Amino acid sequence: MFHAKKPSTMNSHDRPMCVQGDSGLVLTTDPKPRLRWTVELHERFVDAVTQLGGPDKATPKTIMRVMGVKGLTLYHLKSHLQKFRLGKQPHKEFNDHSVKDGDRATSLELQRNSASSSGMIGRNMNEMQMEVQRRLHEQLEVQRHLQLRIEAQGKYMQTILEKACQTLGGEENMALPARTFKGLGNQGGGIIPDISAAFKEFGAPPLSFSSFQDLNICGGHEQQLELHPQSSMGERSSSFESFLVTDHNLSLGKKRPSPYSNGGNTNGKSPLMWSDDFRLQELGGATTNLISRPNQDDIIQMAPLSMERSCNPELDSVSDIYESKPMLDEKKFDAKLERPSPRRAPQLSSLSAQGGRNSVFG
Amino acid sequence: MATMMVDGTVPDFDYYSGLSTTTTTTTTTTTTTTTTSSSDDDHDHGCTWNDWSPVVDWEAFSGGDNFQDLIESMIEGNNSSGGLNISIPKSSTFYNSEDSVLMEEPEESNNNQSEDVNGLKLVHLLMAAAEALTGVNKSRELARVILVRLKELASPNGSTNMERLAAHFTDALQALLDGAASGSLHAKSMFSPNYKDEQQQGDVLAAFQLLQDMSPFVKFGHFTANQAILEAVAHDRRVHIVDYDIMEGIQWASLMQALLSRKDGPPTPHLRITALSRSGSGRRSFGTVQETGRRLTAFAASIGQPFSFHHCRLDSDETFKPPALKLVRGEAIIINCMLHLPHFTYRASDSVASFLSGSKTLNPRLVTLVEEEVRPIEEEEGFVGRFMDTLHHYSALYDSLEAGFPLQSRARALVERVFLGPRIIGSLARTYRTRGEDERSSWGEWLSVVGYHESNISFANHCQAKLLLGLFNDGYRVEEIGTNKLVLGWKSRRLLSASIWTSPDSDL
Repeated sequence: MFHAKKPSTMNSHDRPMCVQGDSGLVLTTDPKPRLRWTVELHERFVDAVTQLGGPDKATPKTIMRVMGVKGLTLYHLKSHLQKFRLGKQPHKEFNDHSVKDGDRATSLELQRNSASSSGMIGRNMNEMQMEVQRRLHEQLEVQRHLQLRIEAQGKYMQTILEKACQTLGGEENMALPARTFKGLGNQGGGIIPDISAAFKEFGAPPLSFSSFQDLNICGGHEQQLELHPQSSMGERSSSFESFLVTDHNLSLGKKRPSPYSNGGNTNGKSPLMWSDDFRLQELGGATTNLISRPNQDDIIQMAPLSMERSCNPELDSVSDIYESKPMLDEKKFDAKLERPSPRRAPQLSSLSAQGGRNSVFG
Repeated sequence: MATMMVDGTVPDFDYYSGLSTTTTTTTTTTTTTTTTSSSDDDHDHGCTWNDWSPVVDWEAFSGGDNFQDLIESMIEGNNSSGGLNISIPKSSTFYNSEDSVLMEEPEESNNNQSEDVNGLKLVHLLMAAAEALTGVNKSRELARVILVRLKELASPNGSTNMERLAAHFTDALQALLDGAASGSLHAKSMFSPNYKDEQQQGDVLAAFQLLQDMSPFVKFGHFTANQAILEAVAHDRRVHIVDYDIMEGIQWASLMQALLSRKDGPPTPHLRITALSRSGSGRRSFGTVQETGRRLTAFAASIGQPFSFHHCRLDSDETFKPPALKLVRGEAIIINCMLHLPHFTYRASDSVASFLSGSKTLNPRLVTLVEEEVRPIEEEEGFVGRFMDTLHHYSALYDSLEAGFPLQSRARALVERVFLGPRIIGSLARTYRTRGEDERSSWGEWLSVVGYHESNISFANHCQAKLLLGLFNDGYRVEEIGTNKLVLGWKSRRLLSASIWTSPDSDL
């Protein structure tokens, strides 16, 4: 904790006695009662401000109304809001800065930058640090919600597809994908010519690897090229995971030279997912692992989308996409739902290829 | 540098070739955009020219003349002069007579270069055709000839983006030509939503799934709107959403999930959705509005969201009559207007206008609007200017898909065929029909004019958008424009905007 350089409502240098009033506010007991802005209170404050449309739109009066905290006066809010406004700018800029050049933000850098760029050298480090924490927290929340929302879309999509599958006829369609999928591992009969081709194109590892290695090719080949030939299941599965990481073309065609995607997946972090805006997460060394890895069994059941194969032969290689990124939201997230992972716990992933659920995004 | 003269205006290739790979920052502080290049341009609408024609000798296109020779040789496909006997008006000065630069396809050059040259050829032909169709010196004959040549050169299953794109644009122009010739350009019927219904349901569903997985557009629009809605109704017990074009209803799946898991405020509110439907507009591939309603109801039941669905049929003139809605006291009304997601069809602007202005009487808590972002076109540029801008727009779209899925060209071709092609046709039809009239550049502006106030995009919303894009190829960008709009773009081309508005009397 940094000590305050000058008296402020933070009051940390006095180390006075603090009492908690019945309103939930923490007041100090020195002759002039000062409000202690605890983390919770500050969070509420920021929520209120956000709700009101940002620090520029919010006024102490409206904040007071929204927060609804007894004992909080306009005076408290005025000064806190002012500090917040001043402190917000540099943080926001910093957060939004593109990190394509691989900048890593440490908390110290962050504070230094903010302090110097805003010219607030004498600024209370404590508050800034709290602000950073709060931002992180909020970002993580957003991330979590986003994941859930994508899942929900996926589930809904499933209902549409299932319905259509039914109308278009039958069980045989659903069974088909399973067979072809397994066929991948055996390089069965060039069912997926594009994938096989890509496989060969990049100097395929021996076929003794699991069939999932094949999957890796279409999306992960760029990574593979950068990666050294690896035999450990762990590493392979991690690039597989990073590939699986979302239902989107995250790995497919992603040529971003991330400093992480160089075979350094061993820390279990998927570099590609969330990484840009979340370098800040590395503050404090938390390696938030954002991969959700379903059971291998789950993957076998393909999206009902493969019904297209029989419905419309033209779409044969449409399933390329789905072979290479098995299962969209549904299975992956269903699996996740069944076994909720601890959230937000900095955790290295267990890289065993079998089982071993990695904790999802923080 | 190169300048091209079209009807006296100067579509400035400087503009395009001068743009470097631009914007690296995605957002702003509070108000302005951060497009860092050409700051004098309020819309940094670069395009993909740079990306695929680095080797083109722009000098060749300076000054010059001899449009006729060039067109002829393009049409002939070789360097010999003569051939077709067309009287081409000399008003337009397109290219240098050194058409050899353009026409020559040097065998020794690498594939890239000839691909670029081919791509350029297609673009120039398209532009010429558009010009011939609507320019000052219209010539249907010329247009027809050019389109024939285009059809030879470009196929919807072509191997390059440009080729496939050109094929769809050619179709669009052809339709305009035919319609114009027959004198009865009922674009509305010709390019009606029913066009897509003829496609197999399986195709449409597959393409839709692919579209969602390959690109962030659908999720961006839905999630941004939903987040804004969530924030707006944080303390409400009853929420009523009036949805202009519900399509398959997927937007509401994630909203329901979010409503269920909200922590502050009263517990899960009751959600009511009224979906508008137009007569004869059956999106039969996604089912009717009633089917969507059933799906949503079942989904809501499966997750435990209190829900009810209503269906409001619009008359054939599609005017929106608010009294036709069933309202409940104490509910927060949200107007949801998704207009231009890639799998949508264009709606008549009268219909949209009627909806948005009519809804004002409902005093909605929030209006969410998602529309495509287009560069405002000067009047002088006319149809051709808009045509070229549309070409850039879809070119960026195609590129974005390709960048993410370079290997899966057939999958992309499917999405292009099912959704983007018809959109191109629809877009050009609208443009053609309304040329000369006052062009409305965006519905957002219109909302302002009509009296809606901008509402703020929250930090969480913006953050969500950035996170979402992080799941896709890193060429996607999100910018915050003004206080109430997020714009999704590919490289430096803005594509889709999501904005939120409130009515002046509602409290927020």
